[in-house]
Amino acid sequence: MAYLGNRLLSLVLTLFLISMVTFAVTHILPGDVAMIIMGTQSNPEALAGLRQSLGLNEPLLVQYGRWIGGMVTGDWGTSLVFREPIGPLIAQKAAASALIVAMSMSIALAAAIPLGVWAAVHRDRWQDGAASTTALLGVSLPDFFWGIMLILLFARVLGWLPSSGFVHPADDFGGAIRHAFLPSLALGLGLMAHLTRMTRATMTGILQQEFIRVARAKGLSERTVIWRYALANAIGPVVTVAGLQVGYLFGSIIVIESLFNFTGMGWLTYQALLNRDIPLIQATVFTIAAVVMIVSLLVDLLYTVIDPRVRLG
Amino acid sequence: MKRRDFLASTAMIGGTALLGPLPLRAQDAPKSGGTLIWGHSETTQNLDIHQTGTASTGRVLQNIHESIVTVDADLNVIPNLAESFEMSEDGLTYTFRLRRDVTFHDGSDMTAADVKYSFERAADPATGATNFEVFNAVDTIETPDDHTVIVRLSQVNAPFLARLAENGAGAVMPEGSGDIQGETPIGAGPFRFVRREFGNEVELARFDAYFDGPAHLEGVLAREITEPTVRLTGLRTGELHMINDIPLDRVAEIEGDANLQVVSWFPLNWDFVNFNHDYEPFRDPRVREAFDLMIDKEMLMQGALWGQGEITAAPSFPTHASHNDDISPRPQDLARAQELLQEAGYGPGELKVVFKVTTNYPYHVDSAQIMLEWFRAAGVDMTIEQLTWSDWLSQVWVDKDFQMTMMNFFTLWEPDFLYYSMWHSTGGFNYRHIADDALDALLEKARVTTDREERMGIYKEVQAYVQDNTLDVILWFRNGTIGAQQSVRGLDTIVHPNGSELNFHKVWLDA
Amino acid sequence: MTTRGIVGGALVALMLALAILAPLLVPDTWATEMDMLARLSPPSLAHPLGTDQLGRDLMWRVMLGARTSILIAGAAVLMSLVIGLPLGVVSGYFGGWIDNVLMRIVDATLAFPALLLALTISAVLGPNLRNTIIAIGVAFTPYLARIIRGEALRVARMPYIEGARAAGTTDTMIILRHVLPNIMAPIIVQATISLAFAILAEAGLSFLGLGTQPPDSSWGLMIQASRDYLDRAPWTALVPGAAVALTVLGLNMFGDVLRDVLDPRHAMPAKPA
Repeated sequence: MAYLGNRLLSLVLTLFLISMVTFAVTHILPGDVAMIIMGTQSNPEALAGLRQSLGLNEPLLVQYGRWIGGMVTGDWGTSLVFREPIGPLIAQKAAASALIVAMSMSIALAAAIPLGVWAAVHRDRWQDGAASTTALLGVSLPDFFWGIMLILLFARVLGWLPSSGFVHPADDFGGAIRHAFLPSLALGLGLMAHLTRMTRATMTGILQQEFIRVARAKGLSERTVIWRYALANAIGPVVTVAGLQVGYLFGSIIVIESLFNFTGMGWLTYQALLNRDIPLIQATVFTIAAVVMIVSLLVDLLYTVIDPRVRLG
Repeated sequence: MKRRDFLASTAMIGGTALLGPLPLRAQDAPKSGGTLIWGHSETTQNLDIHQTGTASTGRVLQNIHESIVTVDADLNVIPNLAESFEMSEDGLTYTFRLRRDVTFHDGSDMTAADVKYSFERAADPATGATNFEVFNAVDTIETPDDHTVIVRLSQVNAPFLARLAENGAGAVMPEGSGDIQGETPIGAGPFRFVRREFGNEVELARFDAYFDGPAHLEGVLAREITEPTVRLTGLRTGELHMINDIPLDRVAEIEGDANLQVVSWFPLNWDFVNFNHDYEPFRDPRVREAFDLMIDKEMLMQGALWGQGEITAAPSFPTHASHNDDISPRPQDLARAQELLQEAGYGPGELKVVFKVTTNYPYHVDSAQIMLEWFRAAGVDMTIEQLTWSDWLSQVWVDKDFQMTMMNFFTLWEPDFLYYSMWHSTGGFNYRHIADDALDALLEKARVTTDREERMGIYKEVQAYVQDNTLDVILWFRNGTIGAQQSVRGLDTIVHPNGSELNFHKVWLDA
Repeated sequence: MTTRGIVGGALVALMLALAILAPLLVPDTWATEMDMLARLSPPSLAHPLGTDQLGRDLMWRVMLGARTSILIAGAAVLMSLVIGLPLGVVSGYFGGWIDNVLMRIVDATLAFPALLLALTISAVLGPNLRNTIIAIGVAFTPYLARIIRGEALRVARMPYIEGARAAGTTDTMIILRHVLPNIMAPIIVQATISLAFAILAEAGLSFLGLGTQPPDSSWGLMIQASRDYLDRAPWTALVPGAAVALTVLGLNMFGDVLRDVLDPRHAMPAKPA
């Protein structure tokens, strides 16, 4: 429990640091949201009026205090450019991103575990080479390039799947999955490659251990040895690594969501950055960082449950 | 937010030549019903029509709001929410008599108080209103009865009425509704706002009590799809009934598709190349003329617009009385350009120029790269700097920190709005440091000239002056395009005379 | 050396040669020369890899683009090493409160996905070649610092370090003589892998318009320009895409082999998110 308490305390501390970094960075961004709102219609007088009404003229410390206070009490403010309340906006867009993050994770794990095991079992033979090269190819291409190729193949040439847009699962579940499929696949390929390599490495280590030799000596079938005994031990580290990749996925969705016009958190973050929409940048960036921190904490905790050998403290 | 067009020019006008093959079935009786799914090229922003400065958002809002006056196809100002209007002899008093059958989407009837409220809100820069300068000369707004509004000016402002028809400046909203307009716009237009799922779609529904008769369509669903090729795919697969802004290089191909129709019109907007007149080399008119001579406008238009435009030297709306038909673009002459540079004291390689261009308009990036080849061939050491829209606005528009750039504007049909804003030394759109006493005098004279013909003559002089002194290099008018399924009818009515706004009132689906 | 090491090494050498030699042998103008009559033309004898939307030859563009992409990636990784190495070594070697403070900051930075961090930095500084290097370099620093700290911590606990300390050697000398040489192998491996990710990051930034600027040609920029012409001219995306893929693949293969040779203890490299 002391361990958990420590971790939570350090999480809060880090979140606080993150909030300061986020706030500081957004205020040194050049450009001016009032400009963006008025476009080429702007002139000094109107800009000054708008800045005042947006609260951009207050001292930074006051703005920071109000922001942090608002975040804690659940009032995340209003987007300056889009005039939407930020809290509900983030909730809505984060849900969309959660869909592709979950789907890409499932796709990656479903492909990586069998492929990694297969490579480890046939270590240093052609199967290993084939699996490893496939995996390498996956990490060697930018995910947006995978995205472009998938659009070309599945949307343009074959016409099987829609190439863009987001559909709410509540409105049309099948449609939601179909729209999320290509971006998830584009995200999942790079992840799959990484996890395949991880599975192979972990399995290789485990297959050399004593208990595997014992199990084989007892006459258990090779299938049982590998899928029951070895994999059961490998799954912990693999899932841990997968969990830690959530941060990587949140980086990638900025590009992928823009490419697929999939209006989730990544798309929203990019829009906020392009428009210098300060409260929206702060909220999106902070949310992403917080999710990454919390997921890695959960993964750590989960790992201590799965693998009691991990020393606590 | 790419490719956001700005400066919703306003209301407008006419003269929109429809070039596309229009269905020859215009005599069919329109059918009522159905929701039209429109693949809109932009993400809508602030929905408050008084505050929003982007044409993309204006394009949607135009269906929700109505203006006090509007224009006919020939760009003449005509009554709209006001059933009549008159200007006093001295040009200082405008009297509007309001229609009595106008209902807002919230169920209330429009009265003079709503008009006064809307004008005062639009006139106050503190509300963030973008068109407040339209009302600069306004002294008082009186409402002697529920259906009369009298606006008194402190000085003559010839373009006042026309400006009310432009850009949402004359849009009337219910008294006191200002605070909610940004999220849930309420107006008196043919469609009422239902909801917006930010970044995805905007839903509009027919407003049955619309004063000019209910629309044919039950609703319009504007799906925001910013990727041009994705929009095109949606049209091809039938997911979308129509799209605006067909990728320039694909227009010919869509025209050849029997299942689809293309509506194209001329012009959507115009483009020009700018010099910073405060940058030492560009103070010399010979240098500016040299750059003009380096550009092959027709080739540039073919290259950047894939032929979807027409080159010009006069930015006035082509059919407008102010358009100067006697001037034409200078043909390319690299040898003469080099001579001029030499005369001005710049030998080959001695003039360094940075050209700032915004990625908001990909065809500007292409244009800059094409021009770079010519400029280099003429011995200019040129580099390109690509800027995001926000950086372009703050560096070029506000800080005037640039040497050369290019921009586009919607065709502002009201010449005062266009020429005074753009070329007067105190003009709101003069980001080039242009300060020319002779030109200022012309523009000021036009503003207080109430005789229309005389006023138009002055603007023709202005165009010739800009060209003779190469204050900017005017390039072309760009075409606007809509692609649609054959089932979409009444598209001949969709484009507002100003060329930038779309109105769905008379559009219908032949399901 | 395995086949993979040889293939990887060859690919890396090829790309390096291209980056260095192409600019010397091929005039820049070949990559910018436009042919308005041959826009978006497919691969042909005149243009072996086809042309882009302005009729520019993709073969010359991809060859000259190698310089920009590799220069940015190399400089960015070098920069993250220059910052990350002292940070990591000091943190790992001294431990205690210094370690606590430094690593807390590193952790907070790690919570921001690297691409998001690079995007934000690029937006702050304004996109151009130098700032792209800074953006990627800063974004990668915490990853390198974390790894270097771990290595330094491991070495600092070795008995011979205790011995050196007991003999009165100064901390600076111990770090220079004993710590640095012993952590070099994993750092080289990590740097190689980071190079691969830096190439991808440059492509991502340029793809979003916040990286390299024209008329410089980089692979990411070429992919970005191809976006509007994908279905009619897929080669405009495939050509630069293939260049990225081959380089990154080469670096990854080479990195794997390097690790097997130099640093067999570690199964997996850390991956900048």
